Amino acid sequence: MKASSAKWRWLLVPVGLVASAALAAPAAPLNLPDFDALAAKATESVNISLDTSLLGLAAGFLDPSNPDDAATKELIAGLKGIYVRSYTFDGGFAYPSAQVDQVRKQLAAPGWQRLVQTNSTRDRTRVDIYVSVDRGLANGLAIIASEPRQFTIVNIVGSIDLAKLHRLEGKFGVPKLDLPPEGRDGKPGK
Amino acid sequence: MSGDEECARGDLLTQALAGERAAFAALVRRHQRSVYSMALRMLSDRHAAEDLAQEVFLQLFRNLSAVSSEAHLGFWLRKVTMHRAIDRLRRAPRLEGAAEELAAAVSEAEPADPLLERRLLALLRELPAAARAVVLLRYQEDLDPVEIARTLRMPLNTVKSHLRRSLAQLRERLDGTADALT
Amino acid sequence: MSEGLENNQELERRLRSALGAVDPGEGFAPRVMARIAAGAADTARPARAGAVASWLAFGLAASVVLASLLAHEWQARRLEQGREARRQLIEALRVTDEKLDLAYRAVNTREGGAPPEHSGV
Repeated sequence: MKASSAKWRWLLVPVGLVASAALAAPAAPLNLPDFDALAAKATESVNISLDTSLLGLAAGFLDPSNPDDAATKELIAGLKGIYVRSYTFDGGFAYPSAQVDQVRKQLAAPGWQRLVQTNSTRDRTRVDIYVSVDRGLANGLAIIASEPRQFTIVNIVGSIDLAKLHRLEGKFGVPKLDLPPEGRDGKPGK
Repeated sequence: MSGDEECARGDLLTQALAGERAAFAALVRRHQRSVYSMALRMLSDRHAAEDLAQEVFLQLFRNLSAVSSEAHLGFWLRKVTMHRAIDRLRRAPRLEGAAEELAAAVSEAEPADPLLERRLLALLRELPAAARAVVLLRYQEDLDPVEIARTLRMPLNTVKSHLRRSLAQLRERLDGTADALT
Repeated sequence: MSEGLENNQELERRLRSALGAVDPGEGFAPRVMARIAAGAADTARPARAGAVASWLAFGLAASVVLASLLAHEWQARRLEQGREARRQLIEALRVTDEKLDLAYRAVNTREGGAPPEHSGV
């Protein structure tokens, strides 16, 4: 699949942002609430908090001789933090309005702008994308995504080239796991 | 599967958990085709596939206590095989199989159209690793999209998207082959 | 449309046929068991008999071994932490791209999203 950098201009052009290495100070990380109620009911939970030092550690384990790793290292050069909370469910779930409101209050602070608000009643999907801007440069990104069986919040601190991120799509695949014991039977194949 | 068969399978796992090597070897023989086939179609190299398949069973031996049932064992093996294969593909240069490797990857059953099936396998190798894994789990392992999502720890919509795009790509390229031959 | 559906069904049928199981051969299970046995033999290697030493020399040797074990332990933990950080980074980037893609597709369908708010910079 070819990725075109033009694809991501839809996101950046409205506010005249340039996705380049940030000269602006990074935005503060969002204070993400606990989603304990969601986690308790989720079949899968992803809870990632990588601050500057952990990003540095991760970068040290990217193999510069591997083109995908090298591209990833370049991609995260401007990042100061990346935080993900994602919950997957077998069926529907109760939208965590109270916690989302806590996040939206922070996104109403000066500097943050909502770039995109999509709401598909057909797909029961809602995605809001916010960007933090300082002196004309993006220094933070926040995504709140609600799908029929998944709820996700992403907060990126620092700058990231979305076109470069998209060019790596398909390369991330499934992360290598040192598989912990499974607590549940897998279903037999049909 | 009959009740007696399920009982026998359960006994085998119980015996293997109790340390009986012969029972573990029987489990390997029971599941080796599935594991090796997944590895072969992902890596397109017999030696790499054999090596990966062996590693999967070694990992199983070391972590057998994590497996709670025969059904869970199938799920565990598919998950580990695919994760290792995808990781290996990400780290190693693209493995270019020779014609003999493609021949080896064709199923053992008498193919109705061997040329077409070889072409399909060649086109499958052109898919990105994650998409290839989804296609294999769907059409080789006969899992439904929800089970694939669980196995690969991938959102359901991503699984469906991979299936849709992969089938479209395969069809388009097959049609291109047909046009070129006419 | 029905032809397209038929084509898809035919393609799926062909895929199932092409992706039938392949056996690695009769020697596969014995090779796996041999590797398991070799692994067990490695861990069961008998300790080397050493000469009897004075308690000072023994203490010194024990300290050196302990220090090296701790260093190895630290290194192993660091390696594990680094790999885990790398794994989490890749997962985080994957999720980010996936959600951006979701928004892009929603905006570009008929039932797309609201036009972006922008105050200009």
